[in-house]
Order: sequence, then C-alpha cells, then structure tokens
Amino acid sequence: MKQSKDPFEAAFEEQEDSPPESPADASADARQNPNSSIAAHSSQSQPQDQLQLPHDDNAKKGPSQFTPGSGSGSANASASGSFTATAGGGGAGTGMKSKEEEEEEEEENMDVELGKFPSSGDPDKMAKMQAILSQFTEEQMSRYESFRRAGFQKSNMKRLLASITGTQKISVPMTIVVSGIAKMFVGEVVETARIVMQERKESGPIRPCHLREAYRRLKLEGKIFKRPMSRLFR
Amino acid sequence: MSSSGGGSSSKPRSASFQPSETSSKRKRGVFQKELQHMMYGFGDDPNPLPESVALMEDIVVEYVTELVHKAQDIGSQRGKLSVEDFLYLIRKDLPKLNRCTELLSMNEELKQARKVFESDEDKLRKVFEVDEPVE
Repeated sequence: MKQSKDPFEAAFEEQEDSPPESPADASADARQNPNSSIAAHSSQSQPQDQLQLPHDDNAKKGPSQFTPGSGSGSANASASGSFTATAGGGGAGTGMKSKEEEEEEEEENMDVELGKFPSSGDPDKMAKMQAILSQFTEEQMSRYESFRRAGFQKSNMKRLLASITGTQKISVPMTIVVSGIAKMFVGEVVETARIVMQERKESGPIRPCHLREAYRRLKLEGKIFKRPMSRLFR
Repeated sequence: MSSSGGGSSSKPRSASFQPSETSSKRKRGVFQKELQHMMYGFGDDPNPLPESVALMEDIVVEYVTELVHKAQDIGSQRGKLSVEDFLYLIRKDLPKLNRCTELLSMNEELKQARKVFESDEDKLRKVFEVDEPVE
C-alpha cells in the first residue's frame, strides 16, 4: 500500500500536485472553524509517514499477529463492525470522520493524535468520539486506522470507469463519488459476512462462502443494483 | 447495450461467482492491495484470504459496473454521465448519500484552499527570486 493513504488522501492526493503546506494558518483556523479544516487536512501527508509504520507492521506480520488477534478477533470484529455500522449509519456520523482526520494530523504526536478526534463541529459528538477512541486497544486502533486510510486508488477507479462507460471523460468528482460508494459497499459486504460467520459459529478469516452468502442477503435486501428481471420496454 | 462495456467487463451477470475465467480482458488484482486493508478495516482478519480478496474485487467491480450502467440509463438524456446521476441512484441509501455529499463538499473546499495556497506560493516565489534564483 502506498504510504500515507487515508481515504481522503486517496481521493484528493492525485489532484493536488503541490505539496500541501498550509499547516500553521490552516491548523489554527481549523481549531476554530471545523469547516475550513480541510486545509489542515492537506498537511497530512508528511506526518502520516510516522503513522504508517506501525500500521504496516500490524498488517504485514502474518502468523505472529494472527493468534493473539484471533482470540479477540471475533469480539473485536463485532465491536469494530458495530462501531463502523453506527458511524456509517448516521449522516452526521460520516461527517464526523473527516474532521477527526484533520485534527489527527495536525497534532503531529503519534499516540495522542489518534486519540483526539473532534467531529463535525458538534461538541457532543466530539466528546463521544474522543471518549471512544481513547479507550481503543492496539488492535482496535490499527483496525480503525486501516478503515480510515484504505481507499480505492483514483487512477485504478478512473480506468475502470472509463472502460465501463466506453472511454467517456471521467471527471474527478465522479471518481471520488464512486470510490466512496464502493468503499461503503465493501463495508456492507464484509460486515454482513461477519454476521453470517457469527450465525454459523465460525471464526478466522472470512472465506468466499461467507462473502457469497452476504452478497445473497444484500441482494434480498435490495441493496445490490440489478437489472429488473422483466424489462417491458427493453 | 452492453457493447460499450463489453470489452472489459464481460462477466456474465449470473448468480455464480467465477473468479478468473470470465474476466480475461481485465487485469486481475487491480484493487488487491487496497482491498486487503479495506477488508481489515471493516472487520476481516489482518491478512484476508487471497481468494476472499479476489472474490471481493469481483463483487466490487460488478457493483460498480451495475451502478454505472444504471447511471447511464438515467443520465442518457444528457448524453454523458454526471455526478448527479450517481447521487440520484443512491438517494435511498442514506449513509452512502451523506458520505458522498460530504466527500464532494470536502473536494470543493480543498480546491479552494489549493487555489489560495498557489497564489500565496507565487508571491513567495517572487520574493525569493529577488535573493537567489530558485527553480
């Protein structure tokens, strides 16, 4: 995974060729006005390198991390799963995450910054987020970090969209939107797969059969777009 | 209808999942690295199974394909796709809709911030160029 790839970086990085550098003023502004904290967000790429290392270690260590993780894995998965479900379930909840990241990177202090996440200007949510995040375990924090940072590469998505639409010009906002939708869709499938695994009382990594069952359930719920079977005026 | 997308997304839209045979024209593992981290973030193991990742990639590509085709159906009056088509398609799904509007507004703000930054940078550059030639 490329360095410094949080979801907003992934969405915006290829846009901004100039190194983001309005740290001081922007961060000061961001303190008072969360709406303008986007500029602070832009100063993320450098400090993120520090954050990246422990994350990569966590992600790449194979068996050594797997065993302790699997014990708490299912509980943690449901915790993080429900967390993301609630976070993603509310509109304001999704708004929360963007401001967290900006404040996070502003702090420039690795451990502390991950614990101080304000949310979209709502002091109530800010307090809640901080309370939750301060109590994260190592594994939860690394999983949360993956959740925030992972995202589809804009170039890949652009290529895919161009191939689907037949080489139409794909605008950047469209790439961003589709990447966001796709990421949330991945989240839905993975969470449903975890639910399926819980029902079957299985543990460990998600297997394709769980994914297929999750996909089938989502289809029943109507969350998967499909062509209507009977097309009258086709 | 499918002729435009037939070249690279030639998967049959069946209920069975066949990972490699049907996507001969599409590179495998396009999203693999990101998908691994994404799946971990959403609750999978730190090392998801490769076949799960491959299957997930197929699911995502199919989902995006369907999404784009539906958007094309809707937006075909205008002759080209626009972002509003996608927003219309996910209007029923509140989390996605809010997330997309948030991303778009952030994009706008970022563009504004960049504009301001670039004009400042030009001014700074001129100041420095007085002292010493700077590329």
